[in-house]
Amino acid sequence: MGLTRLLVRAAAARPRVLLVTTPGGTAVRLAAERELRCRDWPTAATPAGADLMLVAGPECRERCRELGPALDRLWEDTPRPRVRLRAETAEDVAAALDTGRARLGATEHAHSGAGRTGRTHGQSGGTGRTPGQGEGSGRTRTAGGEWRTSADGERRAPVGGDTDGGMEMPGGLPMAEVGEDRDGLALDRLHVSLGPFLADWPSGLIVHLVLQGDVVQRARLGGPCGGTTEPFWARPWARAAEGEPVPLAEAARRRAAAHLDSLGRLLAVAGWPAEAVTARRIRDDLLERAPAEAVLPRALRLQRRVGRSRTLDRLTRGIGTLSTADARAAGVSGPAARAGGDVPARYRRWLADAVDDVRRLDGRSLLGPTAPDPGALTDAAAPPVPTALLDPTAQESPRGRWDAGRPPSVALAGLLPRLLEGTELAAARLVVAGLDPDPDELAALTREFTGG
Amino acid sequence: MVEAGAWWTPLAAPALLLGLAALAVAGDAALDARGAGRSVTPAGVLRPFLAVPRALVEQPRRLPASDRWLWRLGVVTVPVAAVLSTLVIPFGNHVAADLSVGVVWFNAMEVMTWAGLWLAGWGPNAAFSLVGGYRFLAQGLAYELPLMFALISAATGARSLRVSGVAEAQHGLWYAVWMPFAFAVYLAGVLAFSFLGPFAYPAGRDIADGVLGETCGVDRLLLRAGRWLWLAAGAAMAVPLFLGGGAGPWLPAWAWSLVKTLLVLGLLVWVMRRLPVVRADRYVEVAWVVLLPAAIAQALVPALVGLGAG
Repeated sequence: MGLTRLLVRAAAARPRVLLVTTPGGTAVRLAAERELRCRDWPTAATPAGADLMLVAGPECRERCRELGPALDRLWEDTPRPRVRLRAETAEDVAAALDTGRARLGATEHAHSGAGRTGRTHGQSGGTGRTPGQGEGSGRTRTAGGEWRTSADGERRAPVGGDTDGGMEMPGGLPMAEVGEDRDGLALDRLHVSLGPFLADWPSGLIVHLVLQGDVVQRARLGGPCGGTTEPFWARPWARAAEGEPVPLAEAARRRAAAHLDSLGRLLAVAGWPAEAVTARRIRDDLLERAPAEAVLPRALRLQRRVGRSRTLDRLTRGIGTLSTADARAAGVSGPAARAGGDVPARYRRWLADAVDDVRRLDGRSLLGPTAPDPGALTDAAAPPVPTALLDPTAQESPRGRWDAGRPPSVALAGLLPRLLEGTELAAARLVVAGLDPDPDELAALTREFTGG
Repeated sequence: MVEAGAWWTPLAAPALLLGLAALAVAGDAALDARGAGRSVTPAGVLRPFLAVPRALVEQPRRLPASDRWLWRLGVVTVPVAAVLSTLVIPFGNHVAADLSVGVVWFNAMEVMTWAGLWLAGWGPNAAFSLVGGYRFLAQGLAYELPLMFALISAATGARSLRVSGVAEAQHGLWYAVWMPFAFAVYLAGVLAFSFLGPFAYPAGRDIADGVLGETCGVDRLLLRAGRWLWLAAGAAMAVPLFLGGGAGPWLPAWAWSLVKTLLVLGLLVWVMRRLPVVRADRYVEVAWVVLLPAAIAQALVPALVGLGAG
């Protein structure tokens, strides 16, 4: 079949990649996002739209063993021809992608075991035990436990053994049960989990939702599968806290990039892919040690475009409102607390902080936002202080004041259930993206969940 | 004078539509490449079309308890309705079918995408798909009435529902000039029924591509092609409705139609990237409180002018 081979080869020239990040894989994810953008390989939001599945990050070990089956389910849902890849370090990414494309272009591989793709529900026995089945597509059917009895939010509804075995329910799926909504009407309740692997989602975080229509009636934080001892974004702070000398400029660079990463995710969730790409490009250039004068004009332009967009403001206004006092009471200390407001307040804070940090890169004004003399920030005549070191207590880490025992993202994640209840699904995504807890910092929370 | 029903027109209309849609896809790819810092090359611009061979070799998925037939029906409806809508759009001096109710035909085909997309969301029996399908209905409630009044404004001005009649009625003065608001509402409607750019709400990234999320292979190709075909059809329809059809100096009518269609298409592709997705829950408010009354007021203008002219 010459034609088929030709088609397969042509299709493999631009594979769509389902990028899945495992806990601690932030650096690999960043490398992969950059590589995919440069190669013009689209990223898929669901397994159905993917040819390659790239698992970025270290192997799932004890802390996140539950993620293994979730990964397998994503893989089972990917239509053939398909290739599964793994990149454990940032250096592996390019080679892994090359391998993936080569294997995808090989017809023999593409059509081996071609009988059936997709997966029937009856096979999901093994995944029924997964707590975080809100895989990429957030689909009701494959995710075994996403349909649950509403009487007992925890208990999984009985799952049929075989799809073709004459089940009473269509496809062996339990029906949604009825519950009262906020207006006292009896409406269907649907149990949907967001995470752990959802497009533009803090990878590893799991939020169990009870939906009526698309309104979140109840939200519960699932055991987050995440946490590393050295989260990528807060690494300078973690190292400084252990007494290692870390240049302040490096910390500022990392913090600006972290804010831009969060911003890119928020913009993607808000449905503005063009500006999300801009934010991510600036982020990548910062991490590649681009000089401040090259980055600053672009950061300012982004701040103008996004920060002053009245459309984006109107669309996100009033969502996830959190006053500074409430935030501080919940233990949040970072930009989310300083912004003190809704989603627009938070993304403007990120933009302003990122621009400030970029200004600080050139070594002229190395004092932090808590500097006693604000004039020092703009004093161009001040002598350069290239040896200024990061003081982890005076300088905020990207998500807030650094505390190795209880990283700032733990408080952010803790706020989620309260802020999510009563929102619509789209707003719920914006709330999560607007707070953007870093799953790598959630080790403490993971311990709480697994310990208690 | 527009000549209808030449034997080749029912073949030329879909081919032309496909060509325009392909140009829009290529233009979008070029803007994507520029935004991502890649060099804009002819090869790079053509890369999105690799989705076609991929769709052909990709194997179908079987989902439990999915409504396969309704799903397939919905997926097919979207591009087919887009192609059918072009039958009444004059291009230069030719049109496939010069119906006396051409404007209504176009609108009816566009409304068929409501059913098509909802079914496409319903079929796979998946939460995010279904949310996506319903999102299109919510979006439809917001955009459809202002769009209909925009169409009515043009038809009232021409006192004809025949598309070629509307084009001919604009001797010298385009409706886009003296009904700018109706034109703007129409263009927003085009983006909305092709669910692209700021109106990509039913296929939003926040619900993992919504109606597109569970589709693969040819189904996915058809739905995605349907979006761009609708964009091209909407741009082509804007020319007879608001931009005087094929009328213009020096060039032949078909060339003017082509130039105007390409300009509208280019404008739409450019605008798509400049705005975030407009969520229907917020847009409905604007649509019903601001756009709808204003669209009615706009429709009154040609009506009064028509009455005055006797």
